Amino acid sequence: MILAAFVLVAAAVLAVIALGRTHRQMNSACIAEAAIFLALSGWLILSSQIPMTSLAFGSEFFFIDHLGIYEVLIATVIFLLAAVYARGYVENLIEARELSRGSLKLFYGAWAFLLLVIVLAFFSDNLALFWIFTELTTVISAMLVAILYARDNIDAAIKYIFIASVSMLFSFVGLIFLFEISRSVVGTGTLNWTVLMQQAGAFPPGMVIAAFALIFIGFAAKSGIFPFHTWLPEAHVRAPSAVSAILSGVLLNVGIYGIIRVFAIVHQTTAVSTVSLLLLVFGLLTVFVAAMSMLPQMKLKKLIAFSSVENMGILLIGLAVATPLAIFWVLFHVMAHAFTKAGLFFSAGILHLQYHSTLSPDAVDDMQDVFSLQPVAAWGIILGGLAITGMPLFPVFLSKFFLLVQLAGFSPVALVILLTLLFIAAGAFGYFVIRTFTQVSGPGAHTEIVRYQTPAGMNLPVIVLLVLILILGTVITSGEVAFLDQVVAELMF
Amino acid sequence: MIDPALVQSVIRILFAVVIVTAAYIISTRNLISLVSVYALQSLTLVLMALALWSLEGATVLLAIAAVTFVSKVLVIPYFIASIQERIRIRRDIEFHFLSPTTSLLLSMALILFIYIALANILEGTPARESLFFFGAVIGLSLMLMGMMVTFSRKRAITKVLGYLSMENGVLLFGMFVTELPFIIEFLIIIDLVILVMLTTILTVGLDSTLEEYHQRLHRFHLVGDTEDGP
Repeated sequence: MILAAFVLVAAAVLAVIALGRTHRQMNSACIAEAAIFLALSGWLILSSQIPMTSLAFGSEFFFIDHLGIYEVLIATVIFLLAAVYARGYVENLIEARELSRGSLKLFYGAWAFLLLVIVLAFFSDNLALFWIFTELTTVISAMLVAILYARDNIDAAIKYIFIASVSMLFSFVGLIFLFEISRSVVGTGTLNWTVLMQQAGAFPPGMVIAAFALIFIGFAAKSGIFPFHTWLPEAHVRAPSAVSAILSGVLLNVGIYGIIRVFAIVHQTTAVSTVSLLLLVFGLLTVFVAAMSMLPQMKLKKLIAFSSVENMGILLIGLAVATPLAIFWVLFHVMAHAFTKAGLFFSAGILHLQYHSTLSPDAVDDMQDVFSLQPVAAWGIILGGLAITGMPLFPVFLSKFFLLVQLAGFSPVALVILLTLLFIAAGAFGYFVIRTFTQVSGPGAHTEIVRYQTPAGMNLPVIVLLVLILILGTVITSGEVAFLDQVVAELMF
Repeated sequence: MIDPALVQSVIRILFAVVIVTAAYIISTRNLISLVSVYALQSLTLVLMALALWSLEGATVLLAIAAVTFVSKVLVIPYFIASIQERIRIRRDIEFHFLSPTTSLLLSMALILFIYIALANILEGTPARESLFFFGAVIGLSLMLMGMMVTFSRKRAITKVLGYLSMENGVLLFGMFVTELPFIIEFLIIIDLVILVMLTTILTVGLDSTLEEYHQRLHRFHLVGDTEDGP
């Protein structure tokens, strides 16, 4: 029933968008979709029907457990705020002739459909079904990147599609392996996660490692793990900022979610030590590459994009540790990173409209007088930057700190390396902000820059997210802890 | 009934056909024939599914054969060919080329590597049976050869063909290693069709919006002329 509700709402929203005439109508439809989805998932949690395996239709393929609903909750919050933000932002893209009015229907149609596909992906019990939805998210989000119809956008979108889809085919071969493993162990093959979790104890480790390695390739590419991260900075930079927030805050989570699910299966087998090592190595390499790329970075959005790569690496390292506490903080970090990063991209989008720097892709971000021109966005970047580098009072601090503590028990060498890299990344962020934001024009030059009147609808999401992460970083309710504990328990760590 | 030994030798011949088509896709410059060879490769897969069906009698193989025939032998090649014509009118196609000898040698090495790797992984499982094992090796090799095409060619439309031939490899692999539920095979093909449509449309967009894009840049006095051609 509940799945039908999600699908019907999305279908209605798509119909409104198809029939809608004005930008306002289409945008409101998208806001309504995200709000209703949020309400539905909130209701699901409060009415405590989860985990839910007997859905009225498609119960063979779908289920709703705490991890799924948790990810959906994060996704819908970001989609809601991004849709509110998009109203002003897209209007300005049209005025700046970066987006043609004719593409609006396509843009909002893809937007609304993307949210539905993501929700269905998180509710998929069958891993092959999850694979297909993930693949669809690639195609649809690439459409959102290419929508600006500038040459660089199309290039970035094509690169994104090919790297992600080619890697995802390897995942599919991995899934075939997994299917064959379950078939040879139990007799009837299955790709249903809940069933695989029960059978996993009897899986032969050699085959499991091969299957995991192949599956990992695809989901690693989706979540921007080294060496498959090369599409990520380009797509994030070229996309409209409202879309960048979704790419970073939601779509990277889809990849990590896949890795978490499959790793939970591996955790039941004896192959876990080898696979943990694999995750640790790739995690460290990812953080290393991200930190080194952040250091000389002169463009704000690229810096933020590489910071996403860094955080995905941290998540992998946390998974590698694989203690219940580490998994708890990995899940917390997923949320903390998503909200913080969305806020950063929203702020960067406001600054982009103020300074129009993406039309010359290679130019250095030249920002003057940010505090007098765009105070909210400037503080969004500063506080968001402090938050993402892991300063106290912010949620990323908590998750990074406790993940590091957990890592100390797992591998002290990795801890030292990771800590050094985190300092480098934080330093890169700090250096950029200090250098860029302290530029003040001389007394005579001020007339050149016209202040962009930021609509309240664009400042609001930044403020909401800042408040949200401050609350998340300072107050941890018992309900929240119980919920995450429940997720960890369901993953059987 | 047909003699199983005959069917098995037919399948072996079809394996050889698949490898030849893959080698052709890697090494040819001619874009039009690329599409026909892809269609031929898909047709080989259809025949293979039919041959397997006559061996095992699983109806899912018939369904796979039908869907593959409609989508990969008819619809997708037709779509790509018509797009190619549209681009061809505008300008000639130049493409980045990995020398045929190198890429062919590389793919031979790949096949050998996959053979050894799979022999180790599948040791002791029922899938280690000769014909099915061979199918898995050919499937994975086809996949990696397709990947070589995707990453060594510059044109998006050739990349699409590389991706398509990769997907053929996955289908082959799945067909021989295990019996996947039909719904999964079907959904993959839907995904494939969407991906092909989007990327080819983007490629056309890349060509047709070029001038408009440059005009826009000049209007904003932001950059001079940038380099041409992807």
